[in-house]
Amino acid sequence: MRFFDPHIHCISRTTDDYQAMADAGVRAVIEPAFWLGQPRTSVGSFVDYFSTLLGWERFRASQFGIHHYCAIGLNSKEANNEGLAREVLEIVPRFVTKEGVVAVGEIGYDEITAAEEHAYQVQLELAVQNEMVVMVHSPHRDKKRGIIRSLDVAQEAGVPMEKLIIDHNNEETVRDVLDRGAWAAFTIYPHTKMGSERMVELVKEYGPQRIIVDSSADWGVSDPLSVPKTAALMLERGIDPAAVEATTWGNALAAYGQSGQIDEQALLATPVIDQTRLFEDNSVLRGQPPRVDQGVPN
Amino acid sequence: MKPSELLREALAPHLSTTAQTALDGALAEVAGGVSSVRFGTLLAGLSRHIKSRPLELGEAVVERGLELVPDWSIERWSTLETGRVVLILGRSDLASEAAAQALEDAFKFADEGETCALAKSLPLLPAPERFVWRAGECCRSNMRTVFESTACDSPYAARYFDDVAWKQTVIKALFVGAPLWRVRGLDGRLDEDLARMALDLVDERRSAGRPIPPDLWLCLGGFAGERAERALEDELQGAGARQRAAVGLAFARRGESARAADLAATEDHPIAARILRAAAEGRIDQELHRALEDPSLVAAHA
Repeated sequence: MRFFDPHIHCISRTTDDYQAMADAGVRAVIEPAFWLGQPRTSVGSFVDYFSTLLGWERFRASQFGIHHYCAIGLNSKEANNEGLAREVLEIVPRFVTKEGVVAVGEIGYDEITAAEEHAYQVQLELAVQNEMVVMVHSPHRDKKRGIIRSLDVAQEAGVPMEKLIIDHNNEETVRDVLDRGAWAAFTIYPHTKMGSERMVELVKEYGPQRIIVDSSADWGVSDPLSVPKTAALMLERGIDPAAVEATTWGNALAAYGQSGQIDEQALLATPVIDQTRLFEDNSVLRGQPPRVDQGVPN
Repeated sequence: MKPSELLREALAPHLSTTAQTALDGALAEVAGGVSSVRFGTLLAGLSRHIKSRPLELGEAVVERGLELVPDWSIERWSTLETGRVVLILGRSDLASEAAAQALEDAFKFADEGETCALAKSLPLLPAPERFVWRAGECCRSNMRTVFESTACDSPYAARYFDDVAWKQTVIKALFVGAPLWRVRGLDGRLDEDLARMALDLVDERRSAGRPIPPDLWLCLGGFAGERAERALEDELQGAGARQRAAVGLAFARRGESARAADLAATEDHPIAARILRAAAEGRIDQELHRALEDPSLVAAHA
């Protein structure tokens, strides 16, 4: 099977992870801009980070036959440094219309402060102006209220609900999101957000429509194979293969494909690897023979 | 006809109605004057409407480009970068300080595709020397796409680079594997020092037991005297058809067309023999190296 992991922070993952993902059938990923585990201190760090997502990281993924798209935005945590946030919001428009940027994201609330509210609204307006998809991060604390507020504010800003993806849902929030017509994404973090077992039950209860599974793997203890593993469990528990395909490939493609920034012809072609290419002065190789022209099996 | 008109004509068959509308809208906006940020956003945003594909032009169109701007070849341009160059050329203030600043900003925030488009627009701009530092940065890149956008199929490097940048670009083409015959204007800017750099690289490669890229011999021209002669003779020892053709052409470029004719007479690979005969008859320009890319020669080389 082929998989689309529409939320993963690849810059924190190793080439071994990329190899394992490719071997498990992950063919496309979306890397939303987030914080780095600690706050940045200057706008230049954001410029270079966004450029890395669009440049080196996309290249690195391509070396394993994985299509790498990204979402660009100022995250909610760092929105609280208001002076810096103002500068970042000035340069975000420079990046959101670039090739392969499939959404403004991940944006939304962390503590639901006034500063977060401001950054969220400015970026929603940017999304509406450019007819973009929006990827919303929902808070760990006070999640249900945060999600409902995210939906309300996005709706007021004029974001069409079919272009809104709310991430990190759970059993308590999914109904609100689906009822509004937005997409409900689920991050499979076994110990905190959502486990594969619970995910199976959710798909049984709600069906596959507008439900998306992702890994959100990052620099913490997380699993870049969450999507294929959850798909395997869904199949084992008797969920219709079409529903598994929808929640682990098709829905993500439909939701983020609305950006016009996914070149489906290129995505659906058999991937070809050319590790002899260089990016800046770097290669992903450290003396190994480069792999060239090897098709990646599904 | 202006280059921008040729580009629009070449691009048109690839555009859907919505893509054409989007490009026309962006062009109208740019022509009316836009902020630097807006310019960058429009330039980047064409990716939404135009997917990157080869233009697949006929020879006649490529020839027209070369007539409009000498050494400017759009043979390998993509649809998306063509759209972006059209948009850049759509500014009505290209000679102004504001335009220079907007282009500088665009370079600063550019991704790989935008960088290539910006670089490809440079020879078409008024006072192209304003952007010589950015062009030099492109030639410092190890991404072949970015390197070639400035170094290859463009008059820019030969025309505007200083000696250091020019020679670094030529030698670097050999390192990144960009075809040297596509570094336009090479034949007009050969000298003793460049030939010396190329021969130093030959020594380095031979010490390391690594093959010499056949393009390298283009750097010699008529320079470097006996040292060049010896290096060419050495290269013939155990050479394949592709190397033999490149060495024979290098001899002809040094005025030794009889040597090329001798090699042609004993050459059993038909394409290599054809290249050698052409060289013996006086076809000694860099463009002749295009024929060395023939798949059967490349396969024989490998």
